[in-house]
Amino acid sequence: MSSNKAFAADASRKERLKEWVSRPGGFGIITGCLMFVTITVVGFIYPLVGPFGTDEFVGESLEGPSLAHPMGLDQLGRDVMTRVFAAVPADIGIAFLGVTIPLVIGTVVGILLGISKNKQVVSIVSSLIDGINAFPLLIIAIAMVTFLGPGLFNVVIILTLMSWARYARIARTKAVVVLQENYIEATKLMGYSKRRVISKHVAPNVSSESLAYALSDFILVIIIVSGLSFLGFAARPPMPEWGAMIADGRTFIGQAWWLTVFPGLALCWSAISLSFIVEGLSRRDRGNA
Amino acid sequence: MSNALVQIDSLCIDVKVTRTRRLTIVNSATFDVQPGQLLGLIGESGSGKTMLCRSLVGTLHRRGAYINSGSLKFNGIDLIAASPKDWREIRGKEIGYIPQSALAGPNPVMTIGAQMAEAIQLGEKMDKSVVRKRAIELLEIVQIRRPEIVLKQYPYELSGGMKQRVMIACAIAREPKLIVADEPTTGLDVTVQAEIMQLLKQIRKDLNTSIILVSHDLPLINEVCDDIVIMHAGSTVEKIPSAKIQDTRHPYTEALYRSRIDLVEPRGKLITINGQPPTVGDWPTGCRFAGRCDYAKPGCSADVEIPSIKVGPNHLTSCLRQAEIWGK
Amino acid sequence: MSVTFKSFGYEVQAVKNVDFVLPQGKVVGIVGESGSGKSTFARVLSGLQEPTGGYVTYLGAPIQDGKEIYKGELRKAVQMVFQDPYSSLNPRMRIINAVAEAVRVHQNPNKSEAQQIALDLLKRMGISEIDAFKYPSSLSGGQRQRASVARALSVQPKILIADEPTSAIDQSAQSQLLELFSELIKDGLSIVLVSHDLGVIRYLTDNVYVMQNGEFVETGSSSKIFENPSNAYTQKLIASIPSSGKK
Repeated sequence: MSSNKAFAADASRKERLKEWVSRPGGFGIITGCLMFVTITVVGFIYPLVGPFGTDEFVGESLEGPSLAHPMGLDQLGRDVMTRVFAAVPADIGIAFLGVTIPLVIGTVVGILLGISKNKQVVSIVSSLIDGINAFPLLIIAIAMVTFLGPGLFNVVIILTLMSWARYARIARTKAVVVLQENYIEATKLMGYSKRRVISKHVAPNVSSESLAYALSDFILVIIIVSGLSFLGFAARPPMPEWGAMIADGRTFIGQAWWLTVFPGLALCWSAISLSFIVEGLSRRDRGNA
Repeated sequence: MSNALVQIDSLCIDVKVTRTRRLTIVNSATFDVQPGQLLGLIGESGSGKTMLCRSLVGTLHRRGAYINSGSLKFNGIDLIAASPKDWREIRGKEIGYIPQSALAGPNPVMTIGAQMAEAIQLGEKMDKSVVRKRAIELLEIVQIRRPEIVLKQYPYELSGGMKQRVMIACAIAREPKLIVADEPTTGLDVTVQAEIMQLLKQIRKDLNTSIILVSHDLPLINEVCDDIVIMHAGSTVEKIPSAKIQDTRHPYTEALYRSRIDLVEPRGKLITINGQPPTVGDWPTGCRFAGRCDYAKPGCSADVEIPSIKVGPNHLTSCLRQAEIWGK
Repeated sequence: MSVTFKSFGYEVQAVKNVDFVLPQGKVVGIVGESGSGKSTFARVLSGLQEPTGGYVTYLGAPIQDGKEIYKGELRKAVQMVFQDPYSSLNPRMRIINAVAEAVRVHQNPNKSEAQQIALDLLKRMGISEIDAFKYPSSLSGGQRQRASVARALSVQPKILIADEPTSAIDQSAQSQLLELFSELIKDGLSIVLVSHDLGVIRYLTDNVYVMQNGEFVETGSSSKIFENPSNAYTQKLIASIPSSGKK
């Protein structure tokens, strides 16, 4: 039963915003969003406007954090801060691709499977999906990298090949449920075209679930991309990338802690900010139950 | 009145919505239950009747609700001050609960026998054969045929009516003094409903258990219960003996009574109660029914304390204008 | 117009060998308990399900043409309202859009005009303009049912099949919905009302079919059925209705 005064149409925008935030989870969502947006924006802008280049030798190697170089210099005399932020397109950007592409492909396949009346096709594709899902992502990714060769682009390909099946499973399950709901039957009664039903009625309801999963997946993929780079399978030097930077910095961890700590913090910041959002959303769902 | 089994006085239940916001779900509930009485509790959704039930069974905290003020006494025990340990002694043993048939029900992954064993033992260790014997006895009381077979079955194998009978059997397992039945027949077929009502009446007679029967169906409550408590917008607005329902002294009860569909000729004008119940937490001042009341005068919405007026033996009302409308 | 229905068994014999007639301008009720097959029956009538045997005719002609039921324009003639208000409306679509969509597809493709028609229709159903722009989750069960009725009516059907429309909503919403139905009947709509609630059936219908285990055990005018039921099962049903004042 809706008991919120802010649903009244005459509530001001500010009031409605306040109300939205005060509901369960609102705080987490806002915090998470702010954190995430901050790092993404800074990541894309700073390397362009910052004083140093990502590959520029600007000083003594292994110099500690100072006012000029708040995150210090690495073993080649490059400014760590510039590199940490410059890694954003690699880490967050690639992860983004590694989520959205499988999301789109998987959801489309899932919906089509849910609609399909052809039992054989459905069972073949379903088995394929289950098969792909059975493999542990990171292990297969490593295996495929040895096959395809390293590189961020290849990582995206690998992720797409592996992940679409997860989204397809989610989408298909939800599609099957949605298709049994009364409002879909009502579309039959209304005589709507199949195209209309799928695009306007089935897809929006299915994708809400897929999108929710995608958000959690994003966190995972960021870590996988960094993890693969750490192992040397994804980003190659001199490309700035958190995992790679952490790997490089390992050797100097005793003398120059900043080489590993700052990229690590950036990684944590990204993952935690997304976690806040996910947790906030799930609290909101629970609270509204 | 002092030998009442349950005494509720000006009970106020709040719910914690967000970190800072509280909603008052039950604003002032007052009534009592005598031993062996079949009391009906009627109200629309949002009237607070479910929360009231929860307070009697001690499950308010599960919804983030808590008793803000007033008193709630069962058999002399102050239920508001009861600790979880106290509740474990009361719940099931002194106060039983029958849930709404459509919502809860037997645990789908347990056999009926296992469920009943749980309800009978309530955490105490008992001899298996004793438990089984008692389970069969209980199933016979609720008129389930072939109880030995039913004990081995899973809930999905039973019909709605049978499942509800099992819930009743679980509720009476320890012969509690009070049973709270929250819409036990909603969603069941009318013939099954009639049988279950008969069953409840029988249980009341044989075990001298008090039963609080919650429903939104006035004709049902009227036929089955001794007395009726009517709730609206979080308060108890009237308590009246069933037999005297036509002598109601509260406009809401009158409207409920008049709006029954079996009184109207086919496709005639249905008497509906105007408007909607006020939204929870958005309570207007004064009498909360005033906005929908045909007899309302400006004085009804003033910021006055809503009274509880005795207008007959066992008949209380909280209509401010009752004397004017129906005479002394 | 009439809808005649003759059918044989159906899968697990949900509906067995029944005959049914809906005369023009009348309201027919189907009463039965859960599992009696009345919902299945309603779905066949509305064209959502195919009977395994027998046929349904509308205005004398069979509704099924090969694989298609209620082909083309005919689809608009018979509409249905479901029991569960919570799954009857697309949760991601505002009420106004759900109704306007139907108007756009069938009547008037102009967006703003269609929206206005939809708004007027919703207002007739007792849903204010403010509420019309809300999502289903912000409305009560009763409002959702009325929105579903609005959607069904947007294609101007001759027959409305209502499958337990009042079972999942509270008392006052029930009354409002039933009054709405009364008005629609006065305006010429024929209704097939499926329900287990005898009070509702008695209030709204001219004729009644009593269903038990997939068969019609008794049929007649509703006044006769309620005052003088001849079948034993019907008598049992009538006797189970609680009525105030009778202890």
